[in-house]
Amino acid sequence: MGVAAIRTEGLTKRYGKVAALDHLDLDVVEGEVIGYLGPNGAGKTTTIRLLLGLIQPSEGHGEIFGLDCQRHPIEAHRRLAFVAGEANLWWSLTGAETLHLLGRVQGQVDKAYREELIARFDLDPTKKVRAYSKGNRQKLILIGALMARPDLLVLDEPTSGLDPLMEQAFRHSIHEARERGQTVFLSSHIMSEVEALCDRVGILREGRLVEMGTLAQMRHLSALTVEATFSEGSVPDLSGVPGVSSVQVDGRLVRCQVRGSVEPLLKALVAAGVTELLSREPSLEELFLAQYGVHGKSPDTSHDAS
Amino acid sequence: MQAEIADKKEAQVGRWPGTVVARLTARGAARSGVIWGSIFAIAIASSAISYSGIYKTLAQRDALAVAYGSNHATSALLGPAWQLQTVAGFTVFKVSMALMILGAVWGLLTSTRLLRGEEENGRWDLLLAGQTTRRRATAQALGGLAAGVFTLWAVASLVTVLSGLDSKVKIAAGPALYFSTAMVATAVMFLAVGALTSQLGATRRQAAAYAAAFLGVSYAVRMIADAGVGMHWLIWASPLGWVEELRPLTVPQPIALLPIIAFTMVVAAGAIHLSGTRDIGASIVPDRLATQPHLRLLSGPTGLAIRMMRPTVIGWWVAIVLSSFLYGFIARSAGATISRSSVEGLLSKLGAPGTGADAILGVCFLVLAALVAFVAANQVTAARSEESGGRLDHLLVGPLSRASWLWGRIRVAVVVVLVDGLTAGVFAWLGAASQHSQVSFTTLLAAGLNIVPPAISILGVGVLALGVWPRAAAIVVYTLLGWSLFVVLIGGIGVTSHWVLDTSVFHDMASAPAVPPNWEASGAMVAVGSLAALLGGFAFRRRDLQGE
Ligand SMILES: Nc1ncnc2c1ncn2[C@@H]1O[C@H](COP(=O)(O)OP(=O)(O)OP(=O)(O)O)[C@@H](O)[C@H]1O
Ligand SMILES: [Mg+2]
Repeated sequence: MGVAAIRTEGLTKRYGKVAALDHLDLDVVEGEVIGYLGPNGAGKTTTIRLLLGLIQPSEGHGEIFGLDCQRHPIEAHRRLAFVAGEANLWWSLTGAETLHLLGRVQGQVDKAYREELIARFDLDPTKKVRAYSKGNRQKLILIGALMARPDLLVLDEPTSGLDPLMEQAFRHSIHEARERGQTVFLSSHIMSEVEALCDRVGILREGRLVEMGTLAQMRHLSALTVEATFSEGSVPDLSGVPGVSSVQVDGRLVRCQVRGSVEPLLKALVAAGVTELLSREPSLEELFLAQYGVHGKSPDTSHDAS
Repeated sequence: MQAEIADKKEAQVGRWPGTVVARLTARGAARSGVIWGSIFAIAIASSAISYSGIYKTLAQRDALAVAYGSNHATSALLGPAWQLQTVAGFTVFKVSMALMILGAVWGLLTSTRLLRGEEENGRWDLLLAGQTTRRRATAQALGGLAAGVFTLWAVASLVTVLSGLDSKVKIAAGPALYFSTAMVATAVMFLAVGALTSQLGATRRQAAAYAAAFLGVSYAVRMIADAGVGMHWLIWASPLGWVEELRPLTVPQPIALLPIIAFTMVVAAGAIHLSGTRDIGASIVPDRLATQPHLRLLSGPTGLAIRMMRPTVIGWWVAIVLSSFLYGFIARSAGATISRSSVEGLLSKLGAPGTGADAILGVCFLVLAALVAFVAANQVTAARSEESGGRLDHLLVGPLSRASWLWGRIRVAVVVVLVDGLTAGVFAWLGAASQHSQVSFTTLLAAGLNIVPPAISILGVGVLALGVWPRAAAIVVYTLLGWSLFVVLIGGIGVTSHWVLDTSVFHDMASAPAVPPNWEASGAMVAVGSLAALLGGFAFRRRDLQGE
């Protein structure tokens, strides 16, 4: 374990009576790529703006590389770069001018890497920001952040508006960052992206962190979907088997979910003469939907979302 | 927020899909029409009532008529003076040029905001999706603007007719209506001009700049016509000239309505036609979308502020150069008329005691002070829009403290108003020297410096607002500026309450060069401004950044 790149303790932000973020405790290890998920309005942007010192917490505090976000923002900001989901830029500047400005403000630029990124993202830097499409503006701020090669990349829905090719270029860049040991904090609604890139995933709901762990851990906690086909006339009743839930019978096909050890289920299946067996782990999307599909219920009781 | 607006608009599309553009535009225009109509009303009423209060005797009124009646310098500046012996004549003379320009500025800002501005923000995409053609949408928007200018006219007319009922003013309803109509005529024409330039320029700023340039030319043309150099026929070449030729309340000439109506129709038709020949979001005048990078200023937030403010700042600087030169130019002949006609007292009521060119310049520098204060207010709103537009985020997530960003903006603003003030002094002197006036360079330079402190106070209060109530910063600075000017106006008509007068940033400013600058009062103003800015800075460091 290295130094904590991000640490928050009881970080809270209230707007009037609404807690946009409610006592968040977060630990991000240096070099980790963290996915930060949650439905609209869950508090992802709020978390990020608190970490960046753009807004003040109502309670608690956050640190970046051990530096308090509110008290030492300048030192903390030397080590990070930020990409917002909406590229609000200076419309009369060209792409090249914007990158130059962002580089100067940030204070560190890997110029060769910048050129590489411009080529990779296929951006025409001579155009004015006003003339860019939304996706192109998004590329511009992505390049602006990546080119600094900061120790920490804070990304808030960084790929909104990017086409699939550019999404690939983005993933490539994040892999590069990870190989260089940079820490990445990625808030996103694109599950496949988070699944492909992140070491750990946090899920936020109504301002509270409801899940945090590696994908494997989260899968372990969640149910495995099993589909079994039996020969004529021998469909067993599986509802009494330990760990099994949500049993559905469809002719000779039985669909059920199992959590914990699969041994009791396997024994029951073999005993009943199973002919075909299919099982798969839930995707991140299914985990996420399980978390939110049935509002307020725990993942155990939620049904298979596929 | 954005989504909310979109929702609202969608709901409206649902009701009468055919007229949605007209209704939205009308609503936007009517709202500001009411505000500006009230400003027109205050100006007209206060001027009419004050005249009857100050110039009670016929002898005083005759003196006034002699002073201005045949003065080419003032007629070039303010338009010709007719029948100054009457309340009506004086009112027209005193307020009409200011209202004509104000009306034109309102018109061009409103129509470029509601046409090009809304289009630039992408709102028209939503409205036009399958509903109507571009041409019909533009025609509808013009209809909406007409509704807006109608509210302005209605408010101004109501108050004009009411103040005409005053026993000392006594203006009949018919002529009063004709007068308010004349005062709104420039607004009508420049709404159309703004609609046309909204087709030409790619951004709201560009569209407004084209329309403003046309206004500048119109003003300059009528100025030559009224300068007494034998070219009065030129008056018919300028939209502002047509309004002047309406001659309300004095020797009415309704025939001048013809060119006004024809011009409005032709320009509006042109706007509708052009809107059909281009794509949504595109412009007729080619927009340079790709250029060589100019990196010199872009090395930090302060350079960025300079780069982004440059067009506006230069625009205002040119306006200050031209008007101060003009004021210097006319000062001598206007001043000569004053001494001859022994009405020194009159000007002193406007805050400029003394005689001759100095006294006239004293009043002119008040106008320049207002311009410079406006520049300061503009700097505050520009800083606020960096924050509300989300662009400030990109700067503050770097190793840059909020204090140094704000300090950079303040520094730029202070340098700009300082340069503007000194420029006013230098060019007023150049204008005066070109006419061999005996006004010394140092006196006018000091007068230029003298108009800076009120701008610094506005700036300071603006920074305080940025710190503690950012969403209201623009309203705070523009209200303070408008109120300050209003107080000067009512101060001119004899209001003496200190409680009222001290709320104006211009009240403690000495009317240099008519009287020597009061550097102590100026120092106090700068101190108050700095203190306010300091408090604002502290508050800014500890608050949340806030969007719109
Ligand atoms: N300035 C504000 N004033 C009041 N409420 C706010 C403000 N900013 C955010 N909120 C509220 O805080 C909550 C969290 O918002 P936040 O923007 O952090 O959500 P998010 O997880 O980023 O959502 P999304 O996925 O839509 O980006 C929301 O309920 C939002 O309405
Ligand atoms: Mg968000």
